[in-house]
Amino acid sequence: MSSSDSQRRVPMRSNLPVVVGNLLMAVSAGASPQSMQLQQELGNLRIYYEFPASSIRDRRRERFSRLARQWREDTEWLSSTTVIAMHPAYQSIIGMGPEALPMILEDLRSNSGHWYWALKAISNEDPVPPSDRGAIRKMKSAWLRWAEQKGIFSNDVQRLADGSASPFSFAE
Amino acid sequence: MTFSDWLTAARVHFPSLNERNSRPASPADVGYNCIAWAAEDSDRWWWPDAQEQYYWPTAVPRTETVEAFVMAFEDLGYIERTDASVELGMQKIAVFVGDQGKPTHAARQLPDGWWASKLGQQIDIEHELSAIQGAAYGHVAFVLGRVAVVSTGI
Repeated sequence: MSSSDSQRRVPMRSNLPVVVGNLLMAVSAGASPQSMQLQQELGNLRIYYEFPASSIRDRRRERFSRLARQWREDTEWLSSTTVIAMHPAYQSIIGMGPEALPMILEDLRSNSGHWYWALKAISNEDPVPPSDRGAIRKMKSAWLRWAEQKGIFSNDVQRLADGSASPFSFAE
Repeated sequence: MTFSDWLTAARVHFPSLNERNSRPASPADVGYNCIAWAAEDSDRWWWPDAQEQYYWPTAVPRTETVEAFVMAFEDLGYIERTDASVELGMQKIAVFVGDQGKPTHAARQLPDGWWASKLGQQIDIEHELSAIQGAAYGHVAFVLGRVAVVSTGI
């Protein structure tokens, strides 16, 4: 067996998407159910190799962090929550939709900040009672409790919201 | 961070601010803003946002207009239009508006003639009124006064 035969039988990982792509092209419409299943599995395999989930998550998180940092730097001196929320970076985060919710809530938990407009816009909910409008610490606790009830992130949120767990402190 | 370091960062937004016309008063706190601080409330963030997420007096229209801000402070007894001079027995607040005529900031006069301001989510400072005028907050649109509330100490 020549070295070139060996390379064909065991494709290198970097060549795999091309190989899978060629196989997909070979499976034509009107094929048997087994062939259709094979096509589906090959498609999934291709996505797995070309777009690993961790890589997608990292890019989203990186984008969120960049936008949040820019928003904070530009708005920390402002009092108008309307101007704060209309900042282009903030609007871009709202545009990320539900996938931004865990990142917003994590940022709220760690850093506070006026995330309330974004949370309400994305979730279409508002767990803050009218009597607590503007009471920032209560608003923060209400949203973190809401996140815990929705299972949006880990179940230690409630203890964190109550200020009874480290490493986060709710004393602003 | 020293106040001098802080001033260096702040001057990006407030070019006139310096150690001669301002002094630090209290640390950064996200729990309240300048309007609340002018109203002597350090527990809430005041703003008439359309989303109705922040505190605003219920009897006052929830609009970002000079008229609504006048009404909000009238609700606290600031009923007299006045100037920024020091007057014995009078408490004063000044409201700033930006280029588009919308309120941006409020400051409360101190007995020595300087003014107390909470700068967004940043620290509280005491300053000469002109020290924070400029691109960030605009200019003083009006000053309102009320008879000073004197504590009896009881």
